[in-house]
Formats: sequence, structure tokens, C-alpha cells
Amino acid sequence: MAACWTDRIDAFSRSPSRFLSGTTAEVFLAELLRELRDDRAGYSVLVLLLSPLCEHPTVLCPSDFVGEETALELMSVFTQCPPKFLEFRRHLLLALTSVLICTSCVSNRSRASQDFLDLLLEIGQDVSDIHGDGAFRYLRATACDCLREMEACSPGILSQRLELLGSLRQRETSRLHQAYAGLHTLVLRNTVYQLTQERGACAEHLKALLEGNTSVAWEADQDSGMVDNTDSAVLSSLILGPMGTVPTLQTGPDCKELRSVLSSLLEESYLLTPLCQAALLHRLTEVVAMVPGVPPAVFRAELLRLLGTSEVCLLHSILLMKCAFTDSLFSAEDEAFILKRLVVLSQHPLLSTPEKLFYMDCILHFPENRPISCDDGDETLPVLLTPRLASALVPTVFNDSTTMLARLNLLCLVYLEEGEEGEGEEGRGVGYLYEHLRSLLHIVENRGSREIVVTFFRAAFLFLFYLCHLERFSNSLTEKLCELYLHHTQLAPHLINLANQTQDRLPDPKWAVGLLEALQKVITEVPLAQLTLQNLCWHLKTLARVAEEGEIPQHRTLHFLSSIITPSSSSLCVSGDWRLGNSVLGVCRRLLVHPSLDSLLIPLADILQHLACRYGDTDVQDHARLYYTLLTTLSKEKLAGVLAKEAFEGGGQVKKRSLSCIVTESEGLTSTLTIHHTEKEIFKLVEVDPESGGETQTNQERDLNPSEMKTFPDQANTAVTAYRAQFNNPDFASELTLTYQLTHAGACDSRFDQLFSIRLHFNLTDDHYEKLSDISVPCLFREKPSPVLKLRLRPRRPYPTTLRASVIFTTQDGLSWHSNLPDIHVSFQQAFITVPVPTVWGRGSKLHLFEGLWDEICSENIEEKKLADCATSLFCCQLKEAALAALVEKHFLPFLISELCNKEEFKVLFFLPPQSHVLLKISSEEDAVHFNIATDNWQLLSHLSSYLLTITCAQEDARS
Amino acid sequence: MSVRALWIISHEKGEQSSIKFSRRFSTVEHRAKSLGGSSYVAVPEDNKVLQLLLTELGLSDSDKSYVALRDDCLYRQRSPALELRVDGQEKRVLWPVLAMLQGPLILACLPLVDAPPEPRPPLANLLSVSQGLTLLAGLHTFLLGSGSKPDNEGLASRLAMLPSVLLQVCPLGTPLDVPLLGTSATHTVHTPAGIQKQPAWKTGLHRGRAVVNVSVMETVRSMQYGNRSRQDLWDVYGTVTCKCEVEGVLPNVTVTLTLPPNGSPLQDILVHPCVTSLDSSILTASSVDNCDGSAFSGPYKFPFSPPLEPFRLCSYTSQVPVPPILGSYQLKEEENQLRVSVTLKLHESVKNSFEYCEAHLPFFNRDQIGVADVKVSSGQLDISKEKNLLVWALGQKFPKSREVTMEGKISFCGPTPGPTDPLCTDLTAYIKLYFRVLDMTLSGCCVDQHSVQVYSSAKPRIVTSRELQSKEYFIWNSTGTAPVSSGQMML
Repeated sequence: MAACWTDRIDAFSRSPSRFLSGTTAEVFLAELLRELRDDRAGYSVLVLLLSPLCEHPTVLCPSDFVGEETALELMSVFTQCPPKFLEFRRHLLLALTSVLICTSCVSNRSRASQDFLDLLLEIGQDVSDIHGDGAFRYLRATACDCLREMEACSPGILSQRLELLGSLRQRETSRLHQAYAGLHTLVLRNTVYQLTQERGACAEHLKALLEGNTSVAWEADQDSGMVDNTDSAVLSSLILGPMGTVPTLQTGPDCKELRSVLSSLLEESYLLTPLCQAALLHRLTEVVAMVPGVPPAVFRAELLRLLGTSEVCLLHSILLMKCAFTDSLFSAEDEAFILKRLVVLSQHPLLSTPEKLFYMDCILHFPENRPISCDDGDETLPVLLTPRLASALVPTVFNDSTTMLARLNLLCLVYLEEGEEGEGEEGRGVGYLYEHLRSLLHIVENRGSREIVVTFFRAAFLFLFYLCHLERFSNSLTEKLCELYLHHTQLAPHLINLANQTQDRLPDPKWAVGLLEALQKVITEVPLAQLTLQNLCWHLKTLARVAEEGEIPQHRTLHFLSSIITPSSSSLCVSGDWRLGNSVLGVCRRLLVHPSLDSLLIPLADILQHLACRYGDTDVQDHARLYYTLLTTLSKEKLAGVLAKEAFEGGGQVKKRSLSCIVTESEGLTSTLTIHHTEKEIFKLVEVDPESGGETQTNQERDLNPSEMKTFPDQANTAVTAYRAQFNNPDFASELTLTYQLTHAGACDSRFDQLFSIRLHFNLTDDHYEKLSDISVPCLFREKPSPVLKLRLRPRRPYPTTLRASVIFTTQDGLSWHSNLPDIHVSFQQAFITVPVPTVWGRGSKLHLFEGLWDEICSENIEEKKLADCATSLFCCQLKEAALAALVEKHFLPFLISELCNKEEFKVLFFLPPQSHVLLKISSEEDAVHFNIATDNWQLLSHLSSYLLTITCAQEDARS
Repeated sequence: MSVRALWIISHEKGEQSSIKFSRRFSTVEHRAKSLGGSSYVAVPEDNKVLQLLLTELGLSDSDKSYVALRDDCLYRQRSPALELRVDGQEKRVLWPVLAMLQGPLILACLPLVDAPPEPRPPLANLLSVSQGLTLLAGLHTFLLGSGSKPDNEGLASRLAMLPSVLLQVCPLGTPLDVPLLGTSATHTVHTPAGIQKQPAWKTGLHRGRAVVNVSVMETVRSMQYGNRSRQDLWDVYGTVTCKCEVEGVLPNVTVTLTLPPNGSPLQDILVHPCVTSLDSSILTASSVDNCDGSAFSGPYKFPFSPPLEPFRLCSYTSQVPVPPILGSYQLKEEENQLRVSVTLKLHESVKNSFEYCEAHLPFFNRDQIGVADVKVSSGQLDISKEKNLLVWALGQKFPKSREVTMEGKISFCGPTPGPTDPLCTDLTAYIKLYFRVLDMTLSGCCVDQHSVQVYSSAKPRIVTSRELQSKEYFIWNSTGTAPVSSGQMML
């Protein structure tokens, strides 16, 4: 049993998606919860069972509602669990925290989350263990961790408890004070942040909160709850360098209470582990940055101890402090000292490589007291970093790759500046770096490992990136690279990659072209006798890349090609190696689109003809013949057009095959390469009835199970909240799917009986919808069933629209055609979809939702913004009861919320993506049938009105 | 200031890498989602992460010489933070992934970016990065011990302990501490309820006789070229390790380091976080600075309150005027053999009493050693023909002259080629020295027993020790091209 669970949980953790393909989240969750109540399995297994809930709560609880239910279950397990199973209880608290936070129950302040918060606070305050064995203390520590996480994810949730948390921290003398200190500091930080966002908040409010005088404090904020959750700024660190702005709370110079809290926290900071100490210092830095009334000097007492630290996170917190307070806390000497310290640490023999790399990164983003540029994110050198200081970081071949590259990068920047400033000294430092590059190259030449090879090319790129303008070095590097290549042709992909990247990223792409031209030169000068099949393939790969450069003359390449395929000078082509032949063709293909093609025409044609007639491989012959035909038949522009497309698609086997097909009937080449247009209507799209019945059926199934009614939202407001929460995901229910059949249209034309590779393209006629993507249909045969297409529309506004459609397809004889389709009209009612409630909801929950939405739209006191779009209306018409029932059944059945048999009042809810609702209450009154309408988008009313008019008239007509 | 996920991957030569442990912190992920907004990239499933990570670390497809995704010259250039290109696109990037590759394990974590995602914030702005590094280093030490020697059974049992270890040190993705070695996760020692708060880094209280153990260990590195155009280099760094068994919640201990009268000042001093205060003069001397004759040269006082377990109180570097052993190495190619000539001189200031002292002379990129006719003036020579290596064991003492020599001829005519090395081609060759001397330091730095002060009722027993060892101590053949120069050349 236990082993089975171990394996299952393991499988789930490794890949939740694969695991759930064999079951459903719902079933798995139910199993887990059932198993958790069964303590026969032993508590170590029970701990294991909690891990999916801790790690993937949203997979198991897809909605807030399920999250809430799961949390209630877990809390009941917690209360029933004997206290001695401490570790399990601690894991239970973690699982509860994860479920409640991730399903947004905490941010929505659901009941379960309030209960849980109370439970945690209760545990946190329970000091009955003070004389016990201390084991219970660990439960308290976990409760504090959970509270801190809840505050971190829903900032402000504990603001009203600030005083309580402070006193708990003060009281605790065991190691646990660390957990309280972390919690207290975070709540303090969030509270101050919140006050900075409140208009009119002042020192008095802060004081009241710090003293726990919540009855007086900050009444206004009680209503607005916490800081708006959609604003992620509160979650973000406030210390963001010169460009960041910190919100401030004006308190005046006298905020004794805050100062005393700060000094007490700082005094005890020494007692915390370095990780917690760093976090605490960071949070307090933020607090002091937000309250100008407190001088940064409060940190001074801790500085010296921290500046000498060997702990990376503590020194980092000093850097963040420096970033926040600059010269109001750190003098120019301090600044120089810290920078020197960073240089020392960047190469300290006792530190790990990642730490050293981190310090080097900190040098490049050094928080200067007076930064010259405010360029956030870019690497810049601090003014104080002199070449002399930086010389401690020069790269050597004994460095590991990443360290070496990081040092090279830094030193390049240093010497770049040096070069700009003092012309005389220029080049000395760069000369050293270049020597270093050559040492690396030397190792590569001596068959260095793959890692060294890659590192060398990365180093070369860095060197060129910064120092390419120093031609003395960059030209020499070109030369060395060519020598290297000649001896190690297998490095061709690296060289091509270097050429590509330097061309893309360097301010002046000239160097890459120079390198390629030099490579062309050395390759074409290799004595033919020295060529082997192996290195010839690499040469051709390189030449193919060279041929992509319009600026490089290609006569050398052509001469080389013609000499290697001529049997008199080389035996390579007699063998008829397919790969070699293709490599030659690869070069030829690029030459076909080379801008200087006119001057290459005759030799290129000769080569192609030679290949077509003499090469020992039929496939290569075929290709060569095709290219020859293309070259001699097509104009230069057309040739470029045909071949350029190929090049863009990345060059693959597929195209070669299709071109081979074309070759077989080369007479029809021009027509094959042209797209023909026909005015005839070949296709049309026929709408398929979307009501396949699936949706309504599930509703009926739900209704069969009355017990479910209990477990799903049972109040209008909770239903609306749970429903709304789904829209936090911007992709949720944002699409309409319209289903069409693609069929032949118009008179029978046997040419078009069998069609292939059909690609439909849609154009919008207005901006109510997002652009549509193309749809591909593999084939359409007249006598076979028509393929079904799903058109996915993403409305911006769910209004009727018209779509233009065109199509490109291939006929059986291989010709390509273009044609237009009749316009597609999307009617208003096609935008209706059933309201996207969680699949587990029954009719009862939907009814609550309907009522909730209705009340919301009709109520007076909803927010202004929403109110502006809400509207209610009434539509009346004359219909008999039977006709009304028929109308409802015919048009509204999928959208019907009330029971069909309940004929007194039909409730209908249309959802229109992305976020509009139309609610109808339809009842027969004495004089007429009343359609009471409520909508949260008044602009839909006119469309709705004409829609209702149409269907009711049609119903009347049908009757008469 | 949290991490979104954590992975522990086994990576041994010749075996397929696999994820041994992973943990996702869902609530941190929840925060990452709201912070990231539209640029949020979810953490892929484990197998995908493994594959991306190996690619990024250059460890995937080891049979292929060039893989564009792995070997592009643009990638992975400088920072400790990796980018995992989910979907292979440049847009969807998981960043900043921290990875620590040591021994048979890769440890990786993904810190939370608690800053606006665009433009990408510098690492220096993200406290979670340094915290992630600390967490990884702590886990690494916990799993493999500081020696990073693979011990499969121990590793497996420690991996099994990780869930309860993480419950202590990183329950919800926010690292609180690093795992303690040797102590069980629920180490409890009764602590009296007193006024003094117990440090969170102190797992319990010591009872019994007070013992303070302080040891100074210095390491010397060197690069000697025997060439006028290249300056020989050497450096010394030291660590002071303490083990304090002292009663009390927050006992005070002070250790004082002293230098001999003309000793050069200790530089780059780094201290353990348990040090309570520091004099600013202690921190001023720096190896990247001008050496100032008037610099503070001790005594160096370190007041602290010790944790229970042994810890590194401080570390320093020192610039000593001469290397302890000065060597000269000359090779000459003669027909089919190599003439070898070596001299090693022990400096007079160094105690002539080694725990061990060995010189290793490897020969690369040649056939196996056929005949080696080599004589040494002192010590024993062991020739390993398979490894093309001469091991010269100098024993515990240099002769009275403090100088030893090796002369001889080696021919490389074995049936099979010997080991290769891309660095040591032609006459580029080195001697590597391994030695250890007890009861001495090069800098002269020492801890006097009487200078250790413990403010407690019982009189403590105090033990001090010191030693010197070599590391990366190279003597290059002066007739070949030495492969390196170093930064100090530029000074």
C-alpha cells in the first residue's frame, strides 16, 4: 500500500500532466483526501501524500471552490490528528497554506482562509510548551512560516496584527524568535507600504498600528481591505537602483515608535541566521527608504560587522542598502572600500565559482553614490574601477570557462574605456587580452576538449564585440582563425556561428564579411591533392555560407567547385557520394541568388550541367538539372523569388523532395511555379449546427445528482465571486468556436474534384475581432464527406461581423490555385456561448450565479465604472404560452438556467466573450410576454433587440 | 527573496543524468505569476528542466561536436545565472536559474525575481539570488560533505532526509538557514527560559568542560617560470578554524591573531557572521591595493559568540616575500630522448620538517616512457610508465644544503601513446609540488594560547595549532613556452 503510494506520488511529481492523463485531478484529489484520513498507512506516507498538494495545488484544485473544499477537509484532518505526529501536522499546515494561497482563497478572504488564519495565529500565540520538551515549538515555527507566506502573497492581510506580532517576537527567547522576527518585519514593511498608498495617512496611523490601537487606527482602510492584489508593485522589491522610485510616508522627524521597533529588530539581527538576517536587513532598508523621517544612520552600528562578512547574502544586503541610501549612509571612502572588497571577493580562492561570478556581476552593476548614467540593466563600469584594480581579474587559461568569460567581459569593458581615455596606453591591456585569446586558440589547436573549443569561440565573440574596432587585433584574429580552420575543418560550424553572431550583434558587421572572405581564400587555395572527403564537406559548408554574402565576389568559389568536380583534377566526384553532391548543390543554390549572378552565369551553368550529366548519383543529377533549368529559364528576379522562399524555411529534406518531384516533368516548370487564379467559386463554408447536445446533456446529468447541490456555491455572491475568479486568466473563455463544413460550390468541374493542401486565409472587415489564423485542410474530395473546420474567433467586442476568405490549394495535376470564398457572416447569436462555469457546477449553482449577476447589474451601488456599462431593459411581444415554450426550446435551450418545465419564468443567460453577459427573465404577463433584460454591456442592447424581434416574429409566422 | 523551485540532479561520467530530488514552491510560483505579468514563464516539468539545464551547462549530446542550442557563441557568457530557453525560443526564458556543478551532483534553483521583469533587472538587485547561492552551497555541503567525495550510500540516505531538512530550512520557498551537518532535523536540547535570546544559529547549549580549539591553516600556491621575462608568482591564504565548547546561551570568546615583528599585514580578511564586532583597521589591508608599509599589522582581535559546531572564524591572504620552495626545471629534446634537469631549494625561513613532500613530473602528448635513466640527489623516485609520470618523494626532510636535484634522460618509445593534454605540448611541461608542514605558517600568523579569552566561569582548555600546505604549486619548464601569464604581470 505504502509502496504503491510512494510510486504514484513520485510519478505525479515527475510529470503531473502525464500522470493525470491516466486519471483525473478530481479523482486523484479525492483519493488523496480519503487516504489522508486513514492513519494505518503510517505518518511518513501521509506526509508524502501531502506533497502534490504542496507542490501543485492548482493542478489538483482547479477552482477556488475546490480549493476551499480541500482546505476544509485538510483542516479537519489537522484537528483530528494526534499532537504527537508533529512533522505531519507541520506538513499539513504547509499544504493548507499552499492550497489556500494558490487557489486565491486567501486573496478573496474566503471563509476557510479566515479560519486558517485564526488557527495559525492561535498556534503562534500558544506558549503552553514553554516548559515542555520544545517539540511543539517547531509547530509554532511552521505556523509563523505559513503566516509569513500568507502576508507575502496577500500583503496587508496581517496589518491589523502588527502590535501582536511585535509583542510575540519580543517575548520569545528560544531560537524561534527568528521566525517571529521574519514575520514581524514583513508585516511592518507591508503596513508602511500600504500607508504610503493611502491618501492622508500619516505618522498617527502608523503609531496606532504599531501600538495595536486598531480601533482608532485607519478605519478607512478596513473597508478597502488590503492593497489591490492586481498591483504587483507591493510584491516587488522597492530597491531598484537609480531609476526606481520609492513611495514615501510623510511622518515628520518624530516617529519614536517606529524607531524603537527598528532599533530593537536591528539589535537582535545578529542572532539570526545569515539568510534571515539578510532578508530582515533588506525589509528594514525598504521601510527606512519609505519613511524619510527615519535617517538611514540607524543601520550604521551594523555596517562594519557586515562589511567584513564572508557570507554572500549579508554582503549583498549591504549593496542593496547602498543602492537605497547612497551617500546618506556611505561615504566616498566606504564606496571605494566596498568596490575593492568586491574585486577581492571576485577572485578569492576560498569562494565557490558561482559566488565569484555573482560578485563580478555586482561590479558591473555597482550601486554608485553618484551614478553617471541611469541606464538601468546595462553593464557599466563603476568610475572607481581603475585598470590597475581590475588587473586582479585578468583571465588566465587556468580559469574555468565561465569565470574566464566573465573576467574577459569585465576586462574588455575596462580596456575599452582606457583606450578611449588615454591613447598612449591603449592597446597594452588589450594586447594582453589578445595574447590570452591566442593562448586559448593554441589549446584549441592542440585538440582541446569540446568545452575549450566552445569557450574559445565565446571568448572570441566577446573580444570582437567590444574591441573589433582595433583592427590590429581583429585582423590578426581573422588570420589566426583561418589557420585554425585549415587544420581543424570540423570547426566550420563554430566559425559560421561566430560569423553569424558577429554580423548580427556587432555595431559594424564588416568583420564577419572579412572573416568569410578570408576563409573563402584559404579554402580555394588548398592544393587539391590535400582534400579528403571529410574536409571537403566542411569546406563546402563554409563556402555555402560565404555565398550568402552579396559583397563577396564568388569567382574563387566557382573555380574551386569546377576544379573539384572535374575528374581530371580530382577523383572525388567519380565516387558519386550523395552527401558531397548535395553540399556542392548547396553552394550552387546560394550562388543562384547571389546579386552578382550575371557575372557568374556561365561558369555556374557549366558546373550544374556537368553535375547533371556526370555526377555519379542520380538524385544529385536531378537536382543539378533542376537548378540548371531554373538558371537558364527564369529571370533573375523570379529565380530569387523561388529560391529565397526555400532559404527562409530553413532548408530541409521536404523541399528537396518536392523539387525532385517537379524535376520529373520539367516542361511544365513555369506553370508549376506559378499560382493560378480562378474567379469561379470552388468552395463554400456551410455552418454546422453547433448544438451537438453535449452541453445540455451534461446539465441534465448534473441534475440527477441532487447531493452535489450541497457542495457547490450555495449563495449568489459566492457563486459570482468564484465565477469571476476564473477570469483572472486572460485566456479564459475568450474564444468563440464556429463550426463549418468545407464543401465544393458551383458547377461541377472535374479538374477540381480532388483538391489537396488547402489553405484558407481570413480577413477581417472591422476591428471587433482579433486576427484569425490560417486553416489548413489536407484534402477535399467531391465524393467523400466534407471536412469540418473550426473557426476560432477572439472577440474584442461580440458584435456581428463579416469575414472575407480566400484559399490556396493544389489540384491533382500539381498546379496551385488561388480563389475567393463567399463572405462569411457571423451573426449576433453566433457569439452566444453557455456561461463558462466550472464543469462541476450543477444547475443550482448556475441559478445562484444568475441571481447574483442579476442583482449586481440591477443594484444601485456597484462601482461607477461597472455601472456605466450595465443596463436593464424590457422587450415585449405577443406570444401564446405554447409558442413561447417552443421558442425557448428552439433558441434558448443551451442557455436556459431555470428548468424547462418551469413555465412561469424562464431564466436565460448568454455569455459573450470576452466578458459580457445578457440575462433574460421571460414571463407571460396578462398583456404580453415580457423579456426582462439585464446586461453588463449596454451596447449589446440594439443587437439583442433586433435578434429578439427576428426570432419572435419568426415564431409568430410559424404559428400563423 | 524566495526560490520557485529546487532540483538535485545526479550527473556522473558515463551515466545518464537524472533528477534525484525536486521541489516546487507553489506559493512562490503564485507570486512569480503576479510579478511577472505577461512575461511570466511557468516552470516546465522535471524532465524538460533536466534537458534544458544540461543543454545550457554544455553537458547534453556529448557525442556531438556542435549543437547550435548548446554551443552558440552568444550564450552563457558571464553571469552565474543561466537562462533556460523553454520552447527553444529567445522570448520564453526561465531566468535566473542558479546551478552548482560539483562532484557527482548538479544543484539548481530558480530564485524569484521580485522586481519589474522588463527590462531585466540586474542580479545585484535581487536578494533572492545570493540567498539561492547560499542555499545551494548549504545543500551541497549537507549532501556531499565539504570534501565532495562521492559516497553513494550516505548520499542516498541524505537525499531521503531532504523533505524533513527542507521543512526546517526552506519550508515554503524562503530559505531560512542551511542544513546542519550531523545533527538530526529535530535536534532538541533543553534550553532554560531566560532573558537572553538564544541565537537562531545555535542548535542547543553545551554542558561540561570548556574547550576551545583554534587552528590556523595556510595554503600556498605558486607559478614559477624560471624565466626573466616572466615574473614568478605565489600567494598565500589562510583560514582560522574554531571549535568552541563553552557553556552559556551567548558566551563571549575573543581570538587574537598576531604577526612577527616584520610580518606583512594580513589582507582581505573575511569573518564568520558570529563575529560580534570588528575594528575598521582590520579590514583596511587589501591585496588589490598598493602595499602600504604603514598598514595595520595586528594584533587582530576577533570577538565572537561561537556556534556549537566547528566553523571558519576568518580567512585572510598574505603577501610573503619568497616562495617556500624555489624550483628550476629544464628539459632538452635530444634525438629520441628528453634530458631532464631539476633543482628544488627550500627557503631558509621554512621549517625543514615535512609531513610529506612530493614532486610530480607528468609528460603529455608523447609515447609511453620506455627507458628512464634518472638520478636524484635525495629521496625516492617512482616511475609510472602507464601514466608517463615521475613521482619524486622527498620524504620528511631536505638535506642540510636545503637543495635537491634530479638529472637524467627519458626516452619515450613505449608501444602505446601516453596521456594527452592540450596545454602541455612540445616542451611545455611542469612539475607539481605537494607538501605539508606542521606547526608553521608562511605569513608568521599565529594564535597564542594565552591570547584566547573566554568570558565564562570555568577555566577553559585551549588548544591551538597551525600548518602550511601547498595547492596548485607549479614549476614550469623554462625551456618551453609557459602557457600563462597572469594579471600581476601588468602591475
